[in-house]
Amino acid sequence: MIEVRDMVKVYPDGTKAVSGINFAVREGEFFGFLGPNGAGKSTTLKVLSTLLKKTSGAVKVAGHDVDHEAVQVRQSIGFAMQEVGLDDLATGREFLVLQGILYKLPEKEAKRRANDLLELMGLTDAANRKVGAYSGGMRRRIDLLGALIHRPKLLFLDEPTTGLDPQSRLAIWDYLKQINKDGVTIVLTTQIMEEADKLCERLAIIDKGTIVAEGSPDSLKSEVGGDVVSISIGSAAAQANDEMRGKAKAVLASRPGVVGVTQENGALLVTVKNGSAAAPDLMRSLIEGGVPVSSIGVSEPTLDDVFLKHTGKKIRTDSASGDGVDNAMRAFMGLKKR
Amino acid sequence: MLEIARETYYLYRRNLLIWLKAPALVIPSIFISIFLFLVFGASFDGVVKLPGFPIEDYNAFVTGMIIVQAVVFSGSDAGFALVTDIASGYFDKQLLAPIHRMSILFGQLLMAGTRALVQAMVIILVAIALGVEFKTGVPGIVTIILVSAGFGITWSSLGIIIALQSKSAQATQASFILFFPLIFLTDAFMPKDFLSGWFKVAVTINPVSYVLEGIRAMVISGWDWTPISHGLWALIGLTVPLVALATWLYRKSTA
Repeated sequence: MIEVRDMVKVYPDGTKAVSGINFAVREGEFFGFLGPNGAGKSTTLKVLSTLLKKTSGAVKVAGHDVDHEAVQVRQSIGFAMQEVGLDDLATGREFLVLQGILYKLPEKEAKRRANDLLELMGLTDAANRKVGAYSGGMRRRIDLLGALIHRPKLLFLDEPTTGLDPQSRLAIWDYLKQINKDGVTIVLTTQIMEEADKLCERLAIIDKGTIVAEGSPDSLKSEVGGDVVSISIGSAAAQANDEMRGKAKAVLASRPGVVGVTQENGALLVTVKNGSAAAPDLMRSLIEGGVPVSSIGVSEPTLDDVFLKHTGKKIRTDSASGDGVDNAMRAFMGLKKR
Repeated sequence: MLEIARETYYLYRRNLLIWLKAPALVIPSIFISIFLFLVFGASFDGVVKLPGFPIEDYNAFVTGMIIVQAVVFSGSDAGFALVTDIASGYFDKQLLAPIHRMSILFGQLLMAGTRALVQAMVIILVAIALGVEFKTGVPGIVTIILVSAGFGITWSSLGIIIALQSKSAQATQASFILFFPLIFLTDAFMPKDFLSGWFKVAVTINPVSYVLEGIRAMVISGWDWTPISHGLWALIGLTVPLVALATWLYRKSTA
């Protein structure tokens, strides 16, 4: 469905947003890009959807070349962008009907499908209100419907639930699972671990314009090499300091089964095979080595740990930052905040 | 070709609906037109008695100017409509659709023509209410309205050029200062024979003067072909390059 080879995108100002990525998506697959802000996720989707021209490489989407058969590509895909591109003065229904018409549906058919979709997403009551008055969750939903009205076989979603409340997020997840089951190939970007984990069959982890790992969520997590034991050291009498941390790291790294030790917000994260069984041994060896332990926890590896393993940092970012800029722009334009 | 027509029609219809839904965008221009009639009519009432002034009703003399200023200023509206769509992301949404990119521009330009047409009609109605007599009658009025629509497209192309180049709402909104000299460096208030010095030179160079004189001739003199044909040439001479430039820039920025 998608074939990307050595895709590079350099913006006119010289920023290299994507530096030579390769990936393929099969028909019917639910594929995800996981990475922090500025990793190149949105840029990749914009190139794939013909909104941006790539600098070099070969990109085929739904069997068409993005440069030479852009119109065919556009007809085959639906794209719900990160900055929801809505017409605030149009009603939800007007927006959907026009979307249908622009995707070559006869007006009558566009109206019929708009009604069906509005009902499906529980937006019938709001259908005749201006989109500008919709809540954030409703905007995402109507935008998603706008991307689906021509029943594309391929759907692109750029952070479809960033900034949404948990309830709206779950509703969108359920819907996406359903349409994927019905045969729509989906490619989404996200910086929400849970979203990537729950929805995607296959993931590409992307950082600084490069794909650093690729595979199913489970295989990626098993690559981490074990569970993660999180240990806080220090006590009221002996505060943790760099010297103590260094000592602790050395002790921990020498224990059997330990794959790696990293530090995150003062806590030591130990990657170890069979974490629950290893935890008592780790704790005992620390105490015997003269390092007080204040708490200990064991967790299975998350995608964040996968990201940490490949990039040396965690993904966790302020997901609202993008919206902040957008709202500033809207205030400046004299429009309502979302 | 048929597809472009279909897409343009629906995008135009959307632009029209949006315009009608925001009466705040329409009312000021109508209000300003009426206000200008009142102010100019009152302050220049005496000049019609000057020897050589072509007509006794100053309102009739200034009708052309009021139409032209409304139409020229509306040029920045088209630019503003475009930057609003760019900022909201709706422009990208249109670019994502499998349509001809030109349909989006044509939809905007048609809307600009419609806006100018409605404004000219409103001003003409106000003029008639104030007792202005159109010497060329109904055919003249229809011609004035059509010329205004064309002139609206001309200046909207400039608005769109500014919007595409700046992608900034501020710059686009500020672009109306470009339109100022075009409107006021004309023989809007006095016949050209009454002017002198640098001002007369500026008026003679400014193509807007000729369009204005053509429209005015249709109001106050009848089918006087010299100013009318000059006006039409000026209209064509402005419209073709500006629309061509807007189209070229638009093609370039959406390629």
